[in-house]
Amino acid sequence: MHKPLTIYGETFDSRLLIGSALYPSPQIMQQSLMASQSQIVTVSLRRQNSVEAGQDFWQLIKDTGLRVLPNTAGCHSVKEVVTLAQMCREVFDTDWIKLELIGDEYNLQPDPVALLEATDILIKDGFKVLPYCTDDLVICQRLADLGCEVLMPWGAPIGTGKGLINPYNLKTIRERLPEHTLIVDAGLGLPSHACQALELGYDAVLLNSAIAGAGCPVTMAKAFKSAVEAGRFSYEAKAMPEKEVAAPSTPTMGMPFWHQD
Amino acid sequence: MSKPKVAILGFGLLGRVAALMLMERYQLSIFEKDDAQANNSAGVLAAAMLAPLAESVICEADLAEDGLKAMALWPELLAKLSSPVFFQQAGTLVVAHQQDKGDLQSFSQRLKPLAGHQAHIADSRDISQLEPELAGRFHQGVFLPCEGQLDNLAFYRASFETLQQQDVDFHFGQSVHCEQGQVNGEAFDWIIDCRGLGAKDEVSGLRGVRGEVARVYAPEVTLTRPVRLMHPRYPIYIAPKPNHEFVIGATEIESQDNGPITVRSTLELLSAAYTVHSGFSEGRVMSINSGLRPAFVDNRPNIEVKDNLIQINGLYRHGYLLAPFVVQQALSKGLL
Repeated sequence: MHKPLTIYGETFDSRLLIGSALYPSPQIMQQSLMASQSQIVTVSLRRQNSVEAGQDFWQLIKDTGLRVLPNTAGCHSVKEVVTLAQMCREVFDTDWIKLELIGDEYNLQPDPVALLEATDILIKDGFKVLPYCTDDLVICQRLADLGCEVLMPWGAPIGTGKGLINPYNLKTIRERLPEHTLIVDAGLGLPSHACQALELGYDAVLLNSAIAGAGCPVTMAKAFKSAVEAGRFSYEAKAMPEKEVAAPSTPTMGMPFWHQD
Repeated sequence: MSKPKVAILGFGLLGRVAALMLMERYQLSIFEKDDAQANNSAGVLAAAMLAPLAESVICEADLAEDGLKAMALWPELLAKLSSPVFFQQAGTLVVAHQQDKGDLQSFSQRLKPLAGHQAHIADSRDISQLEPELAGRFHQGVFLPCEGQLDNLAFYRASFETLQQQDVDFHFGQSVHCEQGQVNGEAFDWIIDCRGLGAKDEVSGLRGVRGEVARVYAPEVTLTRPVRLMHPRYPIYIAPKPNHEFVIGATEIESQDNGPITVRSTLELLSAAYTVHSGFSEGRVMSINSGLRPAFVDNRPNIEVKDNLIQINGLYRHGYLLAPFVVQQALSKGLL
């Protein structure tokens, strides 16, 4: 029996969360979202300038019927994210917020200190916070202490496509926070990266550029869907233990002795 | 015998191209909600780059091929004008800073093969030969030889002058009511609707995509062709126009907001220009504007014909790239 993904008490069959930016056209975005069979799409409100001005684009996203996870991409301070989260709650009628608070403009690395402060404020304000954070165990523990049921450490900096640059850290977080929903967010480039995250026991992955920036986003969306499924199956099936020496899968009895050195 | 009567709705880029194609054979009436300058038109703000190869990265191959066809039509269209308009086909140079070389690699990989036209990898030496003032500043780039550009402000001026000389009936500052082959109660043989976002209420699925652009006068900078700089979010280009004027653009934001440019976009555009050439530091910012590009959900142009009404819309960021070809296609539905 496959266990569904759980986010703040709600369950989902798909373990792939997908972004809505950087596609060649809104139509290709819609087709990619459908091909991914994702059930959750993240949307940025920040660069729409005003609530009314973005309506046409948001309507295209609402038309997909996917659950919307608004994000605070582009914010650099606690004040900015809190204001934007409140706007998102109004526009999208959801208390979910993907909390993105950038500390470094060039590699878009999250600011861990400000992230804790913002998370505390938003949780007290009734939000269900999905924080985008670095793969630091202690930051993840602190976020969990504040009440986050979902944590989203990065695989690598946003848009780099480098994959899981520190599997050891990610594995440690998984082991130490076994009850939390963990989602690798950002830095993935290949379906095999997503597969690897699920194999590590991560509950889901969230990505955007890897699909939107592919030569054919729709086909890549299908590839990620399959990879996420493969990774999850692999995790549930419990992989064989790794060994340092070769162990033949064929019995050696009956093999000529000069072949057995 | 009097000429057939044609109404053109909208005096932006498409309206002007349509008028120039029809002016000898038809009695034209042009309706524009603004004045003759049509300053709110996307075609005024645009950099007027003709970049089929570079745009092939984000659009389908057939559209890029149409861009090549349109490029061949521009010289004959400009030849109809009463005064010359700067047009060149000297290629585009694409460069990237060291940190963005991954974006350049991705851009190169996603260029689509267009009939007989290819991109060339440009190393430091190639870059210094193509653009001597960029020597030593960039070590990696791509050269797209088939591309071109024109001076859009000169085109707007010259097209208006030319059409004035052709006895065109202008109706500025007027919104239009179009019904049963009539415009504001007057009957026409054909009505060509080129209003872009001005037709949003009547054309379903049309949306605005915000763009922001700066015009800078920089006498210390000499570039001989458009230069594109890799940027993680949108292509930034510097298009040199006559007399050391440069169009630096353009952001691309999914928004209908046509309010003033944001501080962030201003910083992004101008700092990008400065990192390409430090001579921009003493340049003068002549204007810095924002506008909306009309687009459909697939970001492709659309031609609709209903009786004697032809609607052309949704040229998105490909106005100059496609206008002569798309308008010619539309007018061939009975007028050309």
